[in-house]
Amino acid sequence: MATILIGLVVGLPWMGAIVLWRTRDENPRLQHTLAVVFSVAAGVASLALIPFASAETAFSIPMGRYFSELTFTADGLAVTLTAIACVIGSLAVVFSVDYMQGEEQLKRYYSFVLLFIGAMTGLLLSGNLLFMFFFWEITALCSYALISFYNDDPKAVAGGIKALIITQVGGVGLLAGALTTYAALGSYQVSDLLAKAEEIPAGLLTVIAFGFLLAAAAKSAQFPFHTWLPDAMEAPTPISALIHAATMVNAGVYLLARFYPAFEHVPGWAMSVIVIGLVSAFISAVSALIATDLKRALAYSTVSQLGYMVYAIGAGGVFASQFHLLSHAVFKALLFLAAGSVIHSIGTRDMRRMGALGEEMPFVRNVFIIGALALAGVPILNGFWSKELILEVGLEGSPIWAYGIMLFGAGLTAFYTFRMVWLVFFGTERDHLHVHNAGSAMKVALGILAAGTFVTWLLFGGLNGLLSTTLPFHEIEHESLLEVVTAILSAPATWFALLVVGLGFGISWMRMRGFQLFGGSWLNPLVETSFGFDSLNRIIARSVNRFAGQLSLTQTGVLSWNVVGILGAFLAVLIFLVWSA
Amino acid sequence: MTLTPLNAVLFGVVLLLVVGFYGLLITRNLIKIVLVLQVLVKAVVVALVLGGKASGNLGLGQSLAATVIVADTVVAVVALALAVQVRRRVGTLDLAKISSLRG
Repeated sequence: MATILIGLVVGLPWMGAIVLWRTRDENPRLQHTLAVVFSVAAGVASLALIPFASAETAFSIPMGRYFSELTFTADGLAVTLTAIACVIGSLAVVFSVDYMQGEEQLKRYYSFVLLFIGAMTGLLLSGNLLFMFFFWEITALCSYALISFYNDDPKAVAGGIKALIITQVGGVGLLAGALTTYAALGSYQVSDLLAKAEEIPAGLLTVIAFGFLLAAAAKSAQFPFHTWLPDAMEAPTPISALIHAATMVNAGVYLLARFYPAFEHVPGWAMSVIVIGLVSAFISAVSALIATDLKRALAYSTVSQLGYMVYAIGAGGVFASQFHLLSHAVFKALLFLAAGSVIHSIGTRDMRRMGALGEEMPFVRNVFIIGALALAGVPILNGFWSKELILEVGLEGSPIWAYGIMLFGAGLTAFYTFRMVWLVFFGTERDHLHVHNAGSAMKVALGILAAGTFVTWLLFGGLNGLLSTTLPFHEIEHESLLEVVTAILSAPATWFALLVVGLGFGISWMRMRGFQLFGGSWLNPLVETSFGFDSLNRIIARSVNRFAGQLSLTQTGVLSWNVVGILGAFLAVLIFLVWSA
Repeated sequence: MTLTPLNAVLFGVVLLLVVGFYGLLITRNLIKIVLVLQVLVKAVVVALVLGGKASGNLGLGQSLAATVIVADTVVAVVALALAVQVRRRVGTLDLAKISSLRG
């Protein structure tokens, strides 16, 4: 049964992608319908897969001598993230029905969306490192294609290429790790790497651990690769929701969580993970403080929240990170889709031109506020429980200064969240914008996600049981929902964190009353250049270009020179063989 | 080095290679280049059979040689057809003149 379901979860989106590719753009109704049917079916299949979670390999396909077996393992970690990817992905598709109404080239749009979802599920369920890499690269390719969907806009194309190049750097890390694993163990199986990590020589294990860390940081837009995610905001908004909540950036956190037991004893690894998460969480929270583009502000908040998850893994809280990933997927998809319907109805992303939109789109305002409160970590909503869990883990497993910075980050989160809500929905009208309200398909997707924001934390017990019973190498304590709720509510740290969050809200409220957009103008140049990392990117790109230009001198196109080159290389090999023999 | 039959063939292979590479270096006519490439490929075919014999795996060497012959014939045909097209369009078969036309 699990075999069939895995086949459906990976196969349905890809089948949908092929079917949609065969449709014609003259018939958009058919395209919308097909996309919704295939993605919702995959979502249902992914939910049905959850009860079949087990640590055993579900099935394997022999792939010849050098690629070993393509195995699929549906353990707790994999099925949870698969369900997130498919369900949030299908909601983004439902939302697209309204958002992409009347757009051209829907065939290209929906095919890549479905391919994207399918690649992500393949990446999550695959138990073979080489095929994990394969799916990993397909997600990178799809993200490029979708970020650059409006391919007559140079900014969109540049954003897509940036995302592709930076995630390729990470892909090299993953491939290096996978090949090193094969060299050390003679196997590409994930379970072998987890089981026999101690047998690998320390030097090689360090290479694997840091290769995977590089891959995860690039994929999840963590420091120092945090520059691509805000630039990826040129994509259509449902794609942003998909990338941020369902398919793309979760892969990095997943990779770290999956291999944490193998790498936790590598010297310096856990500390590097903590520092990467911490720096990303902090600098992107600061960037979100002054962003004026609604989607960019949300993108910075994603980098920041991913930083919290990475930090939690470094501090040993694999479960806390996955729990926050679940909460984040729900509320960030909600925020993005709500922002999408605002942008769709007024036609601008600039928050300075918005204001007082709440009266004209009350439904969107309400769900956006729910999402924003969850992001800020206000009680009852799912973001509160998972963030407190992370902070609690951090207090135990990381240095106190790291905990302090993360706590301060929580205050910053409250600050920029409040600013965002106020600028968009409250205050005075700054620009006369023509508003039309959200469509019904948008409301369905938003309503489901808003309800999810209230209830997904109730899944704590189930998720905990699932992970603790099906992950043999991770040490996850079994806790029930009630125990955790009482533990969180009785810890003084929680109340202190809430105080910080409240302080963030209060300061932001005071600023907004004076209608100052933001006083800290000295921050602007820093944030616009991503704290200098944009220029670093540019320097690297320029030097690669120059090097390539110099190498092109060897491409003379003159046959005689080529023959000389061949003969020279031949002689060199000959001399080497004779000399070494 | 004694002149066993294997060594004699090896000598022939090296000779063919030298002729082929020398030809490639000095030839400027496209059709002649195709001919010279054929000489090189023949060296490879003989070397494959020789390698098969030397390693005691004659069947493998021969089948590889047969494959190379087939593939190489196709390459030669396409190359000659291209040469005809080049002559028709550019009016010359001289490599130096053809390459001076680029850009």
